[in-house]
Amino acid sequence: MCESSRDRSGILCKAVMLLLFVPSICAQQTDSDYAQGVAAFRAGDYAAAADLFAKADVAAPGTTDALICQAKSLIHLQNFSSSEGALRRYIALHLDSDEALYLLGFVLHRENKVRESLEIYTKAAMLKTPTGEDLKIVGLDYVILNDYANAIKWLEKAVELDPKNKDAWYYLGRAYYSRSLLPESRRAFLTVLDLDPRDARAENNLGLILESEAKPDEALEAYRKAIDWQAGSAHRSEQPYLNLGNLLLELDRAGEAVASLEKAVELAVNNASCHLKLGTAYLRANRLPEAQRELENAERLEPENAAIHYQLARLYKQVHQMDKAKSEFQRTEELQSRAARSRPPDPPQP
Amino acid sequence: MKHSFGNLSKGGKAALLVFAVLCASVFLASGSSIGSPEQSQTTRAADSATPGRFVDVTQRLGIHFQHQASHTSRKYLPETMGSGVALFDYDNDGRLDIFIVNGAPLGDPTPKGAIPQKTGPKYWNRLYHQKTDGTFEDVTEKAGLQGTGYGMGVAVGDYDNDGYEDLYVTAYGGNKLYHNNGDGTFSDVTAKAGVGGSGWSTSAAWVDLDGDGFLDLVVLRYLEWDFDDIWCGEHKEGYRAYCHPDYFKPARPLVYHNNGDGTFTEVSEKLGLSKPAKGLGVALADYDHDGHIDLFFANDSMVEYLYHNKGDGSFEEVGLVSEVAVDIDGRTYAGMGVDFADYNNDGWPDIVVTDLANQRYALYQNNGDGTFTYVSTQSGLARMTLAHSGWGVRLFDFDNDGWKDLLIVQGHDLDTIELTNPNLRYREPMLLARNTGKGFVDVSQSSGEVFRQSWVARGLAIGDLDNDGRLDAVVTTNDGPAYVLHNETPSANHWLLLKLVGHKSNRDAIGASVKLVTASGPQFATVSTASSYLSSGDKRVHFGIGKENSAASIEILWPSGIVQTLKSISADQILQIDEPVAPANAKPAVK
Repeated sequence: MCESSRDRSGILCKAVMLLLFVPSICAQQTDSDYAQGVAAFRAGDYAAAADLFAKADVAAPGTTDALICQAKSLIHLQNFSSSEGALRRYIALHLDSDEALYLLGFVLHRENKVRESLEIYTKAAMLKTPTGEDLKIVGLDYVILNDYANAIKWLEKAVELDPKNKDAWYYLGRAYYSRSLLPESRRAFLTVLDLDPRDARAENNLGLILESEAKPDEALEAYRKAIDWQAGSAHRSEQPYLNLGNLLLELDRAGEAVASLEKAVELAVNNASCHLKLGTAYLRANRLPEAQRELENAERLEPENAAIHYQLARLYKQVHQMDKAKSEFQRTEELQSRAARSRPPDPPQP
Repeated sequence: MKHSFGNLSKGGKAALLVFAVLCASVFLASGSSIGSPEQSQTTRAADSATPGRFVDVTQRLGIHFQHQASHTSRKYLPETMGSGVALFDYDNDGRLDIFIVNGAPLGDPTPKGAIPQKTGPKYWNRLYHQKTDGTFEDVTEKAGLQGTGYGMGVAVGDYDNDGYEDLYVTAYGGNKLYHNNGDGTFSDVTAKAGVGGSGWSTSAAWVDLDGDGFLDLVVLRYLEWDFDDIWCGEHKEGYRAYCHPDYFKPARPLVYHNNGDGTFTEVSEKLGLSKPAKGLGVALADYDHDGHIDLFFANDSMVEYLYHNKGDGSFEEVGLVSEVAVDIDGRTYAGMGVDFADYNNDGWPDIVVTDLANQRYALYQNNGDGTFTYVSTQSGLARMTLAHSGWGVRLFDFDNDGWKDLLIVQGHDLDTIELTNPNLRYREPMLLARNTGKGFVDVSQSSGEVFRQSWVARGLAIGDLDNDGRLDAVVTTNDGPAYVLHNETPSANHWLLLKLVGHKSNRDAIGASVKLVTASGPQFATVSTASSYLSSGDKRVHFGIGKENSAASIEILWPSGIVQTLKSISADQILQIDEPVAPANAKPAVK
């Protein structure tokens, strides 16, 4: 639940961390704009660094790696399309730059251009053996393509090359889970916990596995542990709160679910699923005004979500607003029908 | 071979004797309402650990059926869906007979537009007649029931009220109505009756929709589908899979009004029953006690339909507003089998729907106000069904303790499921869930070897094959054998089996509501042969009554509106009850 978006932000954090080490290459240059760019980069002023590296390249087109440095600065600014432009200009002049190709593969991944990303990684791999980190991104490209067989293949190679790559193990666990390979998924998350015994994400996912195995008590314990472990973090995730609340709802413990789901909403105020689950919990606990507030919030965030309209319909019925209830039930049916029709009528031939 | 069915118990022999004595008995009273909401203050035993005991007696009884699915490399969807089974007494000898539907050969590939046809005995549907010793003989040819097309389901009903049960067999490409001639033979009257239909029909139900005393016919259709060469699943060797129903458009059901002269008229639109559906299972009950029978359609991967009978000859689909169209989270699921029966003895019919793994079977408890509450979690059903795929399903009291239990036959629809979801299984054991009065408990593992066998099960029919008061089961499997499961649950609990005979109402009394009261509380049932998946069950109404050796009263609301009350009925008998002549002051019992 809500995992894919969080996964992707996780990728960014990791990649950006690695890029902090890149100015060493840039530092070999002596041009003044270039040198100032390096200084700005090291000072964390990436906007200034990007401008200075751009000027340096204009002054001596193609003779330095200023475009690569500019691209790295732009990655820090999450300006991936400009970064792609800089890298493509550099690669046009330096066809055999494995560094530029690997960086472009990553940037294209971040731009969600995953097929192009894979093509570029393939070219890069012809020049230099990929690292575990590179293969992790390749695996994630396949996750975005919904091709879990290939995602697992490359993530497995990533952890083979780099057995201490905690993120690669985590994403491998997620890929296994998506294919319902629960024992393999459990092993991957346990490896993450071997590498970092208080990794809340891995523990949260172990909870999901336990839930799938119809072990609700153990799943509840896992979610609670994950919540506990991320308590001191500046970036607490709503996921373990959402999963805990959801399971408590499943167990018909709506009263207990409310507190957990309130916390999930507090941490992810724009997450429609959190509002939906909290609204549902309020509805079951007969806290109708609060249910209405949360379900209407959810509907504002995801107006095309049939499940939200269904719960809204149930709520309006309960408060005797029958016209609104009828309208929401109709909307539910329309959206359900549309979802069913959204599958391609003619699947591609082999 | 001289052999009684299973181990015909002392009680079984006694039951047959009592049946002979009492079949002419009719008790008449009037005035009592039926099915009023009444909480059961039961004293019935509710030991949650008590298992059942079902024994596979298929071979011993002489049933040698092998379903022909004709699986191809093209993964044509009909291959994985069949087939159904019926339990009915076609020759009125007091013993249930078995009819099983079969497939037909499919080309690999089969041309678009083709209607598969049976080409020989291996593809025939089969009728097995139960002999006096409890074993069965194959009388298919003599009866003329070999069939023609790629069969799916079967529905049993005496549509012409001549006292002999007729058969409607659904198929891909056109259905058949077989009139029972009363001499052990059947005649194909499809053309004259005008009920051949078209497309892909699945489950069907006989029910008198307009109260004219003749059974009408509701036929579900699954999808607008043809033999196109569509590849679904991963594009590698061995991974081609059956396509999800979302790839195809839903199909309108067929509803045939019985004109009373051997012909029928298609009236689905006129009756408001024409919403396109992906119908697989159908069941009926008067869920709101307005005196008119309602219908539930189990639809695959779209909203489920509850058709409320408005009482003016038309229906309104109210699934969503009644909260039975989706699960608790507003999600659709792959509805397949269904039963519509009062599992908690409060007088209001509840609904159970089977679906695919990771969806949990849906149990909707009737609130008594026209709405239902999804109680799969609270009842224990969600936890025991999360990883399973269910098809045929029935709520019935296997241990005669007064609570209707659940028997569900299982197996995934995708024969590739273990490649893509290794924690799921294509072949699965059945599920027997005992109703303790407070919820359901999975007692499968301790209820016999048959619950440890993994099948690709589809159809399920329930009935008392040996008239011993313990309900037996017949299960069909896709491309596999059928299984006859004899209920040998050790129990001293008492029971009653009621055979209702309509006179003003349709002769099968389908749609009649029955309320039985003992010192332990009331129980309720609806007379129907429809429910489960593609299958047709024993029309007799069964009640387990625990330690009570008699029922204080039995009230029947006949489809005609006549209310009949019987008092002080001894337990452990098969009792024929004839519909009385309407008393002068009799009125339909409308809530």
